[in-house]
Amino acid sequence: MGRRVAVTGCGVVSAAGNDLDGFWQTLLGGVTRIKGLEGFSYADLPDLKGAEADLDGGPVDDLPPEFDDDARRARCARLGLGAARRAAAHAGLGGDREALARTGVVVGTTLGEERQIGYLSERWKEAGPDAVEPSLVVRAGNHRLTSVIADELGLGGPALLNATACSSGNAAVAWGYDLVASGAADAMLVGGADTLTRLTYCGFYRMSALSKTVCRPFDKSRDGVSFGEGAGFLVLEELESARRRGARVLAEVAGFGLSNDVNHITAPHPDGDGVKRAILQALGTSGTSLDAVDYVSAHGTGTQLNDQGEVRALKAAFGERALRIPVSSIKSMIGHTNGAAGAIEAVACTLAIVHQAIPPTATLVEPDPEFGLDFVPGQGRAARVETCLNLSSGFGGSNVCTVFRRGA
Amino acid sequence: MTAAGGGDVRVVITGLGLITPLGDTAAAVGAALGEGRTSIAASADLPEVGESRIADFEATRYANVRGMRLYNRTTSLGLCAAKLALTDAGLEGGASLPAGGPGLGLVVGSTYAHLDTLIEYDRSLVAAGIQQTNPALMPLAIASAPGAAIAMAFSAKAFAVTLASEGASGLDALGMGMRLVAAGRADACLVVGAFAACRELSLSSARAGQLAPAGEVRVLDARHRGRAFGEAGAAVVLERADVARARGAVVKGILSGQGSVFAPAGTRREDALRRACEEALQAAGRSSRDLAFVSSGANALPRTDEVEARALHALLAGGAPGSGEPGPGNPGSGAPADSVPVTAVKAGLGDLVDASGVVQVVLALDSLARRMIPPVAGLEQPALSGLRYATAPTAVSGAAALVTGTSDVGSCSAIVVEQL
Repeated sequence: MGRRVAVTGCGVVSAAGNDLDGFWQTLLGGVTRIKGLEGFSYADLPDLKGAEADLDGGPVDDLPPEFDDDARRARCARLGLGAARRAAAHAGLGGDREALARTGVVVGTTLGEERQIGYLSERWKEAGPDAVEPSLVVRAGNHRLTSVIADELGLGGPALLNATACSSGNAAVAWGYDLVASGAADAMLVGGADTLTRLTYCGFYRMSALSKTVCRPFDKSRDGVSFGEGAGFLVLEELESARRRGARVLAEVAGFGLSNDVNHITAPHPDGDGVKRAILQALGTSGTSLDAVDYVSAHGTGTQLNDQGEVRALKAAFGERALRIPVSSIKSMIGHTNGAAGAIEAVACTLAIVHQAIPPTATLVEPDPEFGLDFVPGQGRAARVETCLNLSSGFGGSNVCTVFRRGA
Repeated sequence: MTAAGGGDVRVVITGLGLITPLGDTAAAVGAALGEGRTSIAASADLPEVGESRIADFEATRYANVRGMRLYNRTTSLGLCAAKLALTDAGLEGGASLPAGGPGLGLVVGSTYAHLDTLIEYDRSLVAAGIQQTNPALMPLAIASAPGAAIAMAFSAKAFAVTLASEGASGLDALGMGMRLVAAGRADACLVVGAFAACRELSLSSARAGQLAPAGEVRVLDARHRGRAFGEAGAAVVLERADVARARGAVVKGILSGQGSVFAPAGTRREDALRRACEEALQAAGRSSRDLAFVSSGANALPRTDEVEARALHALLAGGAPGSGEPGPGNPGSGAPADSVPVTAVKAGLGDLVDASGVVQVVLALDSLARRMIPPVAGLEQPALSGLRYATAPTAVSGAAALVTGTSDVGSCSAIVVEQL
């Protein structure tokens, strides 16, 4: 692949905070924000737990006035726009209209505007077909998550809405990298957004994959997922162009790998075959040796099958060296944010390189004896992080691995 | 185009699959459109508006895969079209792909394919409670589900991606498929577009004033007042030219350039679409003079038609078009007789939304092969003059066609398709 791609800005909205410093300190401190929900409920499932984002309020988290008259319904768009604004500001993106015309956006989401349908369902119970509003045709499309960002920031490049289930956010990073590296765009704002929905809680409950307490990735006693909500965005730019404009290069995206398990609509491959293929493709296409990897940000959901498959994939890809690479899951602190997860974790990878430290698997108490990897339990640690991998997987078996590297 | 290693990295089409109300082969649909036929009729559910529906679609006629009974109509259309394309490419079962390679990839253009399953599942949660829901529906209710279903059906192990940009979805999906195939991330890549409007989408669109009665869906016409939803599944198989050649595949066409841009608020969508067209042509190493014709994404919504007409006028003729000169028999007013003709298949098939781009590409290849494009059915009084609209079957010359599409929120996409 041709051009080098720099990360010049990050933005996050999550249960761990909405500013990068606060977010990072929460992660490093191993503070889990998974608790009883206050802003979301479903009568059939009392005492739901999860990690809610606490929006700051004010302009940075406002939706455009024409966008929606119900912030609860449009919460996913609000989370996404909030994180995108923060990333653009962090990168100093803006002002140069010609540059913005060559800047695009990719948003990844799993559920997207599901709450719009949730609202319709509630009204349908009383009103039947009369509940269908003229605006549904616009509200029901997840692509509005992309256009609200491009409209606000004046972005004229490719505007893509990517849906690869819970690898969507990481896939957005991959597509953005590909477009910049290939010269199809000069810069890309990439990320993911998702909020808490009835569909995910009920679906995972019925699959017995919803944690009763707090998710414990890689733990012997792990009992499922804890959901979170949020959004993460990164500004990717062609490296030389970023340098010319004096942008701070936080890290580089060096490449990506893709695969599909072709195994089951919900269950990952038991041996992590697809994840292994994505890792090896990412390493190969980015010219990264196995020995160069200093940290792996795992998908690490805390389900029996995901964690087993992911660990087996790491062992298959790295061999003996897998035992010496720190691997952690920040879902232990901010929950599983579905399509946003891979993007928020990409922000964490960038910050790991910037701060030369690794965030922990905070809720891990007793590692599964089968696993044997260094899962960084409890709290984060200082470490040399020149190169790290960001792993994401999703329903349908979609796997993405992106490679982050310290900027030269 | 040659890679550093010496291979021919052009991205070629080796398989086609198409299921529409006017037939399930490109030749049949192309012939029907050539006769000026339209499949738009009064909607069974909403008789006051038109729709273009496949009356006798039976998914099991085309494919029979595990779990299919749970898949909604849109997913089934996409899956069946994918099966047709793979069979056409000689890749059914993946037997002809190189051992040890990345395998088959999949990119789906889909904004609404999951919607009726999501509505059904969520409505059952509200109406009947969590214990009464069908747990098998939940994973099919998310936006990536149709792609996941198709990937599993055909062992697309390289990747399975879904892109959502409404009327630009198909062309954006083709663009991504091109990039991933050219980069060697798949030995072959299915690109699928599928659309079937669920009841709620039709109701909403009708109430928003977007849908016109049957008989009044007039694409690019001064009397346009709204679209009719159509339904279709369409798929193509993409491969690198050298890979296709090595396995003896028949090349049906080349995707030589694609452009995708956005028109943010405060900017003109026609400028963005023109820019997408220019990017596609530049990537293809072509100019507008090389084009045999344009397959426009115009859909009878006045705003979409205006964006398409103005962008194409700026691209093909330069400058802005004039107002249409009303009157039958004067469809191409102001356009030189030798200018690039423009057709729009949505006039006959209805607005295929997510399926549009792939359908247009499949039909464009048929037109290039026949050297004849179908008319814009029903076009009598162009809303904007200065373009050479096809109002009758029109002979064309040249090996390249430009296909355009836009979304309701500002995405604009274009692709150049050529004969080898």
